[in-house]
Amino acid sequence: MDSIRKSVIKADHKIKVDGSAKYIADIKFKNSLYAKTLRSEKSKAVIKRIFIPELKDGYYVVEGKDVPGLNKVKIIQNDMPVFSDKEVNYIGEPILLVLGPDLEEVISILNDIKVEYEEGTPVFDMRDSTESFDKYEYEKGNIKDAIKKSIKVIEEEFYTGYQEQAYLETQGLVGDYEDDKVSVYGTMQCPYYVKGAVVQALGFEEDKVRIVQTTTGGGFGGKEDYPSLLGAQVAVAAYKAKKPVRLILDRAEDMAFTTKRHPALLKYKTLLNENNKIIGMDVDIILNGGAYATVSSVVLQRALLCAIGVYNIPNIRVKGRVVKTNTVPTGAFRGFGGPQSIFGIETHMAHIAKELGFTPLELKNKYFVKTGDDTCTGGKFTYDVKLEEMLEKAEEISDFSRKYKKYSSEQGIMRKGIGMSIFLHGCGFTGSGERDFIKAKVKLLKYESGVIEILASNTDMGQGLQTTFKKIVAKALDKNYQDIIYENPDTDRVPDSGPTVASRSIMVVGKLLERAALRLKENWVDGKEQIIEENYKHPDLIPWNITKFNGDAYPSYSWGINVVEVEINTVTAVTEVTGIYTVFDIGIPIDETIMEGQIQGGVIQGLGYGSCENMEYDKVGKVRQHSITDYIIPTAKDVVNIKNELVDNPCDLGPFGAKGAGELTLVGTAPAYANAIENALGVKVNRLPVTPEWIMEAIVNE
Amino acid sequence: MSNTITLKINNKTIATEESSAKRLLDFLREDLDITGPKEGCGEGECGACAVIIDKELINSCLVTIGSVQGKEIITVEGLKGTKQFGVLERCFAEAGAVQCGFCTPGMIMAAHALLSKIPRPTEDDVRNGISGNLCRCTGYNMIINAILMASKRGDGLW
Amino acid sequence: MVNGYLPKDLDEALKILNEKDVTIYAGGTDLMVRNKNAASLLPKFNKDLLYIGDLKELKGIKESDDSLEIGAACTLSALLRAKGIPEVLKESIRQIASPAIRNMGTIGGNICNASPAGDTLPILYALDAKLKLVGESSSREVHIEDFILGPRKIILERTEILKSIIIPKAEFNKVYYEKVGARKASAISKLSFIGLAEVKDGKVKDIRIAIGSVAPKVVRVIEAENFIKEKNLEDIKSEMEEIRNIYSKEIIPIDDQRSTAVYRKTVALRLIQYFLNIRI
Repeated sequence: MDSIRKSVIKADHKIKVDGSAKYIADIKFKNSLYAKTLRSEKSKAVIKRIFIPELKDGYYVVEGKDVPGLNKVKIIQNDMPVFSDKEVNYIGEPILLVLGPDLEEVISILNDIKVEYEEGTPVFDMRDSTESFDKYEYEKGNIKDAIKKSIKVIEEEFYTGYQEQAYLETQGLVGDYEDDKVSVYGTMQCPYYVKGAVVQALGFEEDKVRIVQTTTGGGFGGKEDYPSLLGAQVAVAAYKAKKPVRLILDRAEDMAFTTKRHPALLKYKTLLNENNKIIGMDVDIILNGGAYATVSSVVLQRALLCAIGVYNIPNIRVKGRVVKTNTVPTGAFRGFGGPQSIFGIETHMAHIAKELGFTPLELKNKYFVKTGDDTCTGGKFTYDVKLEEMLEKAEEISDFSRKYKKYSSEQGIMRKGIGMSIFLHGCGFTGSGERDFIKAKVKLLKYESGVIEILASNTDMGQGLQTTFKKIVAKALDKNYQDIIYENPDTDRVPDSGPTVASRSIMVVGKLLERAALRLKENWVDGKEQIIEENYKHPDLIPWNITKFNGDAYPSYSWGINVVEVEINTVTAVTEVTGIYTVFDIGIPIDETIMEGQIQGGVIQGLGYGSCENMEYDKVGKVRQHSITDYIIPTAKDVVNIKNELVDNPCDLGPFGAKGAGELTLVGTAPAYANAIENALGVKVNRLPVTPEWIMEAIVNE
Repeated sequence: MSNTITLKINNKTIATEESSAKRLLDFLREDLDITGPKEGCGEGECGACAVIIDKELINSCLVTIGSVQGKEIITVEGLKGTKQFGVLERCFAEAGAVQCGFCTPGMIMAAHALLSKIPRPTEDDVRNGISGNLCRCTGYNMIINAILMASKRGDGLW
Repeated sequence: MVNGYLPKDLDEALKILNEKDVTIYAGGTDLMVRNKNAASLLPKFNKDLLYIGDLKELKGIKESDDSLEIGAACTLSALLRAKGIPEVLKESIRQIASPAIRNMGTIGGNICNASPAGDTLPILYALDAKLKLVGESSSREVHIEDFILGPRKIILERTEILKSIIIPKAEFNKVYYEKVGARKASAISKLSFIGLAEVKDGKVKDIRIAIGSVAPKVVRVIEAENFIKEKNLEDIKSEMEEIRNIYSKEIIPIDDQRSTAVYRKTVALRLIQYFLNIRI
């Protein structure tokens, strides 16, 4: 029988190609009302009064006082209002909704509403913020001792900017109220997160709220927490109007006002002894959380856990805080704190190497983590670390070291460069979230006919869960994946198997499905309807303690090496990518083509993060690049084919040996790109994105 | 000046009293329930709304129905069922060119428009051909592979 | 309700233009973005539309001994396919937007939009293009640098249509065009550079340099070109400082969401230097 990794045609392929797949904006709801959001025009203000014009019949305004339950969106800290009609903390903050049957009239009403603000003093720069949403600190070894013993100190600071998910399908939900029950339909990653938010906002019983995911046109984390806000809003609106309410964001709105990747300031201080050996590292990270906490505490945790990257450094201190500023709340985006820190550590190590007279790889190689080593937080790299094997493969396919040397000494107007990054990504939810909060549960429903349906709440947003989940169950049962049913989750029908985030779906939920399928196989009764339920079992790890920030933060790790080759036109500083080579260890792939898709897509998103995706705020708290014209993501002409190799490293925690893969592939491109520019020009990159504007300044100042 | 606008969409002739200024994209999606073309940005940048008008790839969010009277308009729904679509569908499947699918109808139209002009494109031709179609999931390369595959498999069709 | 006029020929279009207050619609690619409304709502037009994009008098390319006349409603894609269009103009068109935009957008539209970042403009300035403007009972030719007064400001009368673009034929053996954008497709220029020169026996016989997106209008400095003309290549290299200074006064870019003034100015001057040092 074929190995599970053998590629199959995706289960949802046909409907997506022939245009019949229905995304939320494609679905017509009878008698639905359009909803448009009135947004704050101030970065920090108290709302004194809102003047609402007289409304025609059938038109509504939905505000804070219409929220029957708690006017707070249920995300970790509960600090973000569903409708912010008392005070506002960022330009674009939703104040209220206007609903009505005619969109033109709705917009006209919106334009007639006047808000009286009493302005405060906003804080935009994370360095100026005095308010933290969260902070953590951890140590390993004896940093104070290392500082005393050190002969040389290399200290520097990095900045990484915003990144916008730029999914092709904008955010949008439809809320409906019928027979005392509220239903919310739309594009989302986590139906149960949305359910929790709606239940809290409405104060309803659990069985009076139903959430249904519709075909989702990309998420990348951007639809992890934000739909909880939209969901609460449309639910309250539908409850008030007793009609379906359609809230679909337009691109400019989505781009300017929904959550983005946290900008970061990363301070690295490395301590060296008399033999130029690294004996300690002191790291301080600030993340810009924007106006509300959202998932920032977990992003910070992951950023801190990645701060030392793939290196075993004897004495470390890592501390960080995520601060509040009067800018758009930042949230989840593929990588989730990892891309920021990996850029920091990889670039810092390259700079240390330069100072000591080594190539970056010559230095990095000395400190690679090995199987069985302790992690930074007193956990263990229990499963095989295959960095050496991966490095060999990377050299083989890219000829990295030879080119690195060659390009370092080349002159001329067109300068070639090659760079490498080595990185990891912890699989699954950080810390003990899986055990303490998520408590995932899946069900397999076997109909009398023998047809099997997967009941789980994980969503396909393009990454292929509708196919890979089916493959896992089919393989365990010796069946054809086409005979397994897996539909877009409906909370009325499926248990909470946890959110589709943190690279957990295949490894954690897939494992539950594998176990459930094996149990079904064992207990199979022909002609009888059967339900098998499988609950999450926490693996035997060194227990994670969040207060001490100690233990196994992740059950396993996936690894990557990226090589990026560039050519820089030194007249214009325009940089072309001429080659991308990647090696990944994700356990084993559940489907080779789907895995290839994750690699290609993630790597190019990482490239955008490193090169062209520039997003900045102006002096009054407005995003400057708020359209798809001005926020630059790569086009087909800006990318090259990626040459990839997988290194198999099956891990028994995942189904058939699979580990987490969804985020890993984005993490490494940016530092490899930065390293390539350093190789080409002999400059020191200290920020992302490395724009032509930055490169030009570096060339001129050389 | 007549207020009736006549359009030829997916080989059907349709008359409407809608305003000349109505966007073709809205007419397709709202009036005809043709939802293959998508609203990704509304400013002609993302290509998710792409259709083919008189054999040319056009962003339907940037044309009024008044400006395309009498022209042959094809959406992915109209292409479906043709031999060329069959080849494209198979190749997109094998090459793993579809992830979330939102850009896919536009990509299919761009592919068809390209192959209709250049039946045996180079990789550069394909990159140019889809340069106005943004994709965030795939990183483009697997879509390019799919189109190159289709040009070989569909020898003689375009 | 906004209605549309589909004139059968240019005469009818000009008649309508004279009698009614309408918005001229050729390719629509800039117009539709500027008048964009929420999805499913009508674009924000407040006048009837006059569709001129298919008028045969505005299409077509006529070649004579000393010039090329391009119909204003020629789409950018059509110009790429056409014979006789200067290769350097094609090079700039190839880098405009994307295939779908080029299939609709017209050269006339690119000119009349008069954006500081209009991609055909620097080349048309460098080639001393003239524009033919017609009304119901009028016809005049103006130089392109007199046609565009500033961003989105042109001297076209309400009753006139841009009919064609007349490009005098000229020989250049050194041609260099560079568009600097944030990515290789669908990018509004951060700046663009065109350098054309006729170099014979080590001397510059003719030189045109035009730079886009670094000032409200295309920058072309006749004073600098005259300074360079008749000099030999070595002298030009040694006078680079002076040449840079002359251009520097006219290159006055801004900071915006796409790029910075410093970058634009630095790169513009570097491109001038690169062209004069290396490309000629």
